[in-house]
Amino acid sequence: MTPKGVTLNTNSHKIKFARRFIRTLLKMRKNAPSSSSIEEIRKRSQRIKIAAYSSMAHAVGSRRAWSRAILFKLRNRARHHGMMRRRSMKKRVIKNDPPGDQSQTNKLRQLVPGGKAMDMCSLLEETAHYIRSLSTQVKVMQTIADHFSK
Amino acid sequence: MEKENMRQPNWASSTFGMEIQPNELNYAPDQLTNCFFNPNWDNSVDQSDPFESALSSIVSSPAASNASAIPGGGGDGLMIRELIGRLGSICNSGDISPQNYIAGHNKNNNSTNTSCYSTPLNSPPKLNLSMMDSQIRRNLTIPGNHPSLAPFSPDPGFAERAAKFSCFVSNTSFMGLNETELPYRLMPRVESGKLSRAASNQSLKLATGSQMGVQENNRSSPQESNLAADKKLSRLSRSSTPENAELGDSREGSTVSEQIPGGEVSNKVDTETNCRKRKSIPRGKAKETLSLTTPSAKDSKVALDNDESNAKRSKQDEDAGNEKDAAKGKTEPKTAGDVNQKQNKDNSKPLEPPKDYIHVRARRGQATDSHSLAERVRREKISERMKFLQDLVPGCNKVTGKAVMLDEIINYVQSLQRQVEFLSMKLSTVNPRMDLNMDALLSKDIFQSRGALPHTLYPIDSAMPVFPFGYQHQQVPSLHGGIANGTENQFPVNSLNAALRRNPGAQLPPIDGFGEATPEVSALWEDDLQSVVQMAFAQNKQQSFHGSMAAAQMKVEL
Repeated sequence: MTPKGVTLNTNSHKIKFARRFIRTLLKMRKNAPSSSSIEEIRKRSQRIKIAAYSSMAHAVGSRRAWSRAILFKLRNRARHHGMMRRRSMKKRVIKNDPPGDQSQTNKLRQLVPGGKAMDMCSLLEETAHYIRSLSTQVKVMQTIADHFSK
Repeated sequence: MEKENMRQPNWASSTFGMEIQPNELNYAPDQLTNCFFNPNWDNSVDQSDPFESALSSIVSSPAASNASAIPGGGGDGLMIRELIGRLGSICNSGDISPQNYIAGHNKNNNSTNTSCYSTPLNSPPKLNLSMMDSQIRRNLTIPGNHPSLAPFSPDPGFAERAAKFSCFVSNTSFMGLNETELPYRLMPRVESGKLSRAASNQSLKLATGSQMGVQENNRSSPQESNLAADKKLSRLSRSSTPENAELGDSREGSTVSEQIPGGEVSNKVDTETNCRKRKSIPRGKAKETLSLTTPSAKDSKVALDNDESNAKRSKQDEDAGNEKDAAKGKTEPKTAGDVNQKQNKDNSKPLEPPKDYIHVRARRGQATDSHSLAERVRREKISERMKFLQDLVPGCNKVTGKAVMLDEIINYVQSLQRQVEFLSMKLSTVNPRMDLNMDALLSKDIFQSRGALPHTLYPIDSAMPVFPFGYQHQQVPSLHGGIANGTENQFPVNSLNAALRRNPGAQLPPIDGFGEATPEVSALWEDDLQSVVQMAFAQNKQQSFHGSMAAAQMKVEL
């Protein structure tokens, strides 16, 4: 009954995601020693978030459109990182501004990565998958955070 | 004349009513006799048209073909013979038949008829269109009579078919004239036509078609035993492959450039039952083949009195018509299917689309054009996805309406994304506090080693709605605050509540099988809880309903 591929193998994805995420976390900690300034924390949290998304996308692989979109964005980001830095902030701000009309579908499109290019049907399918993987991700991150903060 | 005129309304009413076949059949002979005796052909044609339409609609046109084939058997020896050959061909090729007829009538010394004839042949579609349409539609609307035809009523090509019908009818009506002596023949053939109609399979139709031919021969043979040989010859020529036709007529071959190998098949099928094909064929002919073939056909007819030649010509004409139909067939998918069946050897490609259309069926009262069908499929897909999402998103079950559901979904996705953000924040803040790299590694190893086990239990967690996460959200800051400030007096309460709320859903099933599952289970929810509950237990050592387990686990952890 469920559309094909939406039922993701939660366990394997979860394990993959956890492994990858923890590895990146460890690497991050090793590279950047602890500093308690707010700026540092924000930067680090940003990086952790990106790491979480990317590890989730890697865990899912390129089978789903949303994970493909994330991976593509990450790759492009890595490639154009220097260029982006050199560019002025103004342009990026303009670019990041959401388009004017905000129907619900458009909202959903913006929430789901890669949703701008999808039709309604596949958008809903991708949303379902994305929600599942997001909840898995949240669960794993929660576990890790709880574990660390004890 | 007067008699006919008198009868006409009566007749029309009976056909319009679409009563039982026997009635019509009974009527038919009378009508036909009248027509036969009537010198004025136009009137007779007009009268016979409704009858034919009715017949064709009822029997779905096999009757017409049969009727047309039949008349040959009924009349005089000469008339019958020629007519059989020609009429059979006529049945197949509606437009060409008139010419054949003309020839036959010439033989029969019905010169007046021929002159009148030619006009109706060319004109019928236009003249009779409205009448035929109305009649056929009425017939179609009657549910019981035409299951097969009913679905086609909304078809845009219907008008064209009706036109063909009328054309055909005009042709067949002439047959009917000859048929006066043989009313009883109509009955069985009509029935057989129905049977063949009922058999949807093409091969079956073919088989029945051949059978029909045999039957015709058999029936005609008793009356005209001497003519049977000729009929069979004509049959053979009709059903024979194009090569035969070519051999028989070099002239005809020259006129008709191409002869389709599937022509025989088409002939048989046509004679049997397929009204659609018949419709399509006359159209094709009416437009071009008629004009092309008429001169040559007339010449040949005048020159050649052989039945075979006529039959062949009709066949060739049919072939030409088929070709043209194939070109047009794409415009009308439903008729295209039949045409393709005829020409399956040449191009089996267009055969596919009708299947696609059949795949998605429109229910009663629904639009049938491709766009609305596609739109309906799309909507069904979307609603299916929506249903799936409804199961996935908590609190979406009670919501009705797509807009509200979309709202819920959006909110849920946003909340999840916010949670990820928050958790990454938390991890970033937690990291610096974790000075013990070794310990962290160890814990991670533990986590990973455990990971394999608890993950099997996670689906249970995934079934849980969002609110535990929400609670965690609210909890975590308080936890941090508690750690930082050391205000533990409020803390246990909150954490315990959270733990209690969070656990029941996830925990209870494992607890049932507690005996052996304990270590994994405890490990699983320890990960979630220990950070929160640990503090409380450390201080208070209270026992919640799963407190013993937690305590045991805590010792391990500590």
